[in-house]
Amino acid sequence: MSATTAHSPVLEARDVSRSFGPVEVLHGVELALYPGEVHALIGENGAGKSTLMKIMAGYLEPTKGQILLDGQPVSFSSSEEAENRGVILIHQEFNLAEQLTVEENIFLGRELRRGFFLDKRAMRAEALRLLRELETRVDPDARVSDISVSDKQMVEIAKALSRNARVLIMDEPTAVLTTREAEVLFRQIEKLKARGTAILYTSHKLDEVARIADRITVFRDGSRVAIAKAGEMTEDQMAQAMVGRALSNLFPPKVLPQKRETVLSVSNFSVGTIVQNASFDLYRGEILGFAGLVGAGRTELMEGLIGVRPGAGHIEINGKPVRISSVGDARKAGLVYLTEDRKGRGLLLTKSMRENLTLLALNRFGRFAIDARAEDEALAKAIQEFDIRAANRAVPVGNLSGGNQQKLLLAKTMLAEPDIIIIDEPTRGIDIGTKQQIYHFIQKLAASGKSIIMISSEMTEIIGLSHRVVVMRSGRITGVLSGDDINEDVIVRHAMGLEGKVAA
Amino acid sequence: MTVDSATPTVPKQGFRIDFHVWGPVIALVALIALGAFLNPNFLSYGNVTNVLARSAFIGIIAVGMTFVITSGGLDLSVGSMAAFIAGVMIMIMNGLVPSMGVGWGVILVGMMVAIVVGLAAGLVNGLLITQARIEAFIVTLGTMGVFRSLITWLADGGTLSLDYGVREIYRPVYYGGLFGVAWPIIVFAAVAILGEIIMRKTPFGRHCAAIGSNEQVALYSAVHVNRVRLMTYILLGILVGIATIMYVPRLGSASSSTGVLWELEAIAAVIIGGTVLKGGFGRVWGTVVGVLILSLIGNILNLANLVSPYLNGAIQGVIIILAVVLQRQKKVER
Amino acid sequence: MKLTALAGVLALGMAFAGSAVAQEKATIGVSIPAATHGWAGGMNFHAQQTIKALGERYDNLEFVLSTASDPSQQVSDIEDMMATRNIDALVVLPFESEPLTGPVQRVKEAGKWVTVVDRGLSQENIEDLYVAGDNTAFGRVSGEFFKQMLPDGGKIVVLRGIPTTIDNERVEAFQKAIEGSGIEILGMEHGNWNRDDAFEVMQDFLSKHAQIDAVWASDDDMAVGVLEAINQAGRQDEMWVLGGAGMKEMIKRVMDGDKIVPADVTYPPAMIGTAIELTALRFVSNVPVSGRFIIGSELITKDNAEQFYYPDSPF
Repeated sequence: MSATTAHSPVLEARDVSRSFGPVEVLHGVELALYPGEVHALIGENGAGKSTLMKIMAGYLEPTKGQILLDGQPVSFSSSEEAENRGVILIHQEFNLAEQLTVEENIFLGRELRRGFFLDKRAMRAEALRLLRELETRVDPDARVSDISVSDKQMVEIAKALSRNARVLIMDEPTAVLTTREAEVLFRQIEKLKARGTAILYTSHKLDEVARIADRITVFRDGSRVAIAKAGEMTEDQMAQAMVGRALSNLFPPKVLPQKRETVLSVSNFSVGTIVQNASFDLYRGEILGFAGLVGAGRTELMEGLIGVRPGAGHIEINGKPVRISSVGDARKAGLVYLTEDRKGRGLLLTKSMRENLTLLALNRFGRFAIDARAEDEALAKAIQEFDIRAANRAVPVGNLSGGNQQKLLLAKTMLAEPDIIIIDEPTRGIDIGTKQQIYHFIQKLAASGKSIIMISSEMTEIIGLSHRVVVMRSGRITGVLSGDDINEDVIVRHAMGLEGKVAA
Repeated sequence: MTVDSATPTVPKQGFRIDFHVWGPVIALVALIALGAFLNPNFLSYGNVTNVLARSAFIGIIAVGMTFVITSGGLDLSVGSMAAFIAGVMIMIMNGLVPSMGVGWGVILVGMMVAIVVGLAAGLVNGLLITQARIEAFIVTLGTMGVFRSLITWLADGGTLSLDYGVREIYRPVYYGGLFGVAWPIIVFAAVAILGEIIMRKTPFGRHCAAIGSNEQVALYSAVHVNRVRLMTYILLGILVGIATIMYVPRLGSASSSTGVLWELEAIAAVIIGGTVLKGGFGRVWGTVVGVLILSLIGNILNLANLVSPYLNGAIQGVIIILAVVLQRQKKVER
Repeated sequence: MKLTALAGVLALGMAFAGSAVAQEKATIGVSIPAATHGWAGGMNFHAQQTIKALGERYDNLEFVLSTASDPSQQVSDIEDMMATRNIDALVVLPFESEPLTGPVQRVKEAGKWVTVVDRGLSQENIEDLYVAGDNTAFGRVSGEFFKQMLPDGGKIVVLRGIPTTIDNERVEAFQKAIEGSGIEILGMEHGNWNRDDAFEVMQDFLSKHAQIDAVWASDDDMAVGVLEAINQAGRQDEMWVLGGAGMKEMIKRVMDGDKIVPADVTYPPAMIGTAIELTALRFVSNVPVSGRFIIGSELITKDNAEQFYYPDSPF
């Protein structure tokens, strides 16, 4: 069966609205999924994509309108019922039991049995088959808490496959995947298409959307603003439809520092066996990009530098050797790190913005008693300066959008008045409008004389923002690029180990 | 904005009581009203003093426990620790009588000993938890047994009694007071007020809540996670010492049955007061209310023959669960 | 004085044993509850003392002592003794009757000597020797003392122990003894044989009742808490207190003629020593020791207090 022959939708949302309390977040939207077709749903954070997905997969009820399965109105009483009828949602934050093994997770709730007992052998064979089909090497016996984020994604997909999904809804599946892993996913999607599965897919990566989607729906502020078939919309047009205005210059112009003044010098730094003998310099006012595949040791290197991982080597800041064994030491030396894991390591999701903002630099707000008024003032300033948007100041940070969380994290870090800022994946899971803002913040910081290290897995970001680029591969620095060498081809060659020489 | 999908907000019209905040207070007021209705002596000076003074031991300990729980820990050893400290304190005071004579000197030494032993005991718990990285539950379950058998061993299975002369001088520390307010009440109030200020106004309190809600975030935010954790156990140990200082003059003795189940009462008081058992949020004033609720239940059941004494435990249990359910309902709605 | 009489018998037996009987090796297992309150503490002390003394006296006897903090642990202890120590006799003070009956019966069936102390098993004729205090007598003697002290009736409060058969037997006998005497029980609450609990219960009794003529604390540990609460309320001159079990501090006060503690009632924790000694005799002599040995509960007053005063005991 091919995508073009099927003309009645499997799953359809008709005139669906949804309110939370007095606030309507979806305004009578339409969306139809056809067998064997990939439908991309794009929009900024908060545009209502997740809400619609949850309604279609039975996690939420629509306030108005209806969902049709095979042309018949349905009202899933639970996500379980939806799953039983072949509609499966893969969450952005996975739904896996961390302490169970991969195999146990795949069959959770519908274990294969032989008589009274679990049929271990059959489950294991099936799990292996599914994982192999996904070209992942994850061990069925591995505990989910021990495997990487991208492997978890694969497990989720394997789980969905094992359920013979007719409709597969994926919320930003590639956000945590490397390019190579994403390729595997795309191949898998092709296979699912061929089997007649309908796929709904969201992503902030517009190049991906342009590549794999058969149909594209764009949401803005809870309404559908555009629908197009593959090829009818360019990436620029998509971005424009999402934001509602023309997006000129995503990246600010590069302003290279005028003189080379080394602020941070790292030599022969090793972190366990993960990072070996890394050496690099950072200049004042510079944005130094760190490129490489996921798992190349970039994050581990930085975590070693700020003292949350045991590391060994020589660090000089402004020409003076320093010893850093905790985040506190690093802060004193003017060095801060913005984690890639906003929710797990960056912010206290159940706490308010104020408590989060001042946590790192709490000693600036009174030695013995915290000056609550000063905190409030700092928050007001941060909200204005970083354009943080929240319903009110008391709302738990976990309820903010990814973009606003990232801005808050940035504000929190800047409160420590650092000279050197390490930003790990500055725009992961963030919509394009906010991305642009964050790029401009970073540029502004550099222009004001701060020095910045930016780890990113998004090539455009590395190329668009960095003054120089360090490339890592398997725990070693394989190249330091500048000028015209900062292009996709050279970076990839270093990241893949095709360039033998080690630049200094 | 993921806010839309995660937490639906229901519009609220008009006046509403936030049970999460006021639940324990309402329960306390209801209990007081019930007590006053059932027995006219309930609100008498004597009874109020009795209830407050007997709440003081658990109360002082529970204030410390609030910090431990807020930062994601737990301490099951406090009851045994109190018994152990009381035993050591009594033995040392008795031992000093021949050389120092009967007087305040001996008692002051005894008090110092109580605080030092409490600090040391807290340090042991804290170091095992932060340095040896053993679960708090296991560490303190272990030390609970250790302290309990140490006191049994020190007392030869019987009771250690304080020298009669010393006891007569020491007695007023429990039974005496200032302007008609008994000392244990004054000390409890001071500890509670100080605790509330530390929890709400100082970096230490903020750090406890941060560690309890997400240790990783705290670590990446330059919080000295281990140091703060260790401090909470030491603080609790010192407070157990202070509670023991107030306890010993009451009956002048310590035995293997001293302080049995205090740890559970303290933990229950903390939770009734609105502190989250898995950490991340704590309030000391709530703990004080929780302690008072627990002692009032016992007091009212004794004052009024409402139910068979066999059922006292059941009534306490139901009220504890109710107090927590009341708070929880609000959370779901919100 | 059964106890003193017994001591004489024992001394004789020992002298005899030391000289004549063949020195066959024997292991005696002793399983008792842990020292969780004053009386049990005293009982533990006496068990250890007796074992130490007997061990020195007889080379052929070996003892295995285990203390349990709950019935199931006690069952495990006994099973371990059978399995790993190959005991020849078991002296057991059951935590509770029901759960221990089966395991003790199996010991008996294995052909071992069984001595049961204080709390009877729920089936008869298992044990070879039964040594016990008399809870009914304990309650009755106490009740009779109240009747004697309050001939015209009066108002009293009662503190009960941990809710168990022992406590029930005592309280029932007490109530029966004061029947028709005009003594009114204002209230009964559980002080759980614990000083702190008793202190608080008594505080509340004092708040509640304007007139209390006497208190049956029913246990000396509880009496300590009760007395402290009465002192605090300044009502020492209004009432007197009767405890029980024979704690040395209480006996001292009776001896000294303290008005508020006019008497005490025995329930000697040393009965465990009686049981162990008698069991030992079975292996070192030929004197008959099977049967029932009931240690009476006696009233201790100023006149006879000295006989019951053991300043070295922890209890």
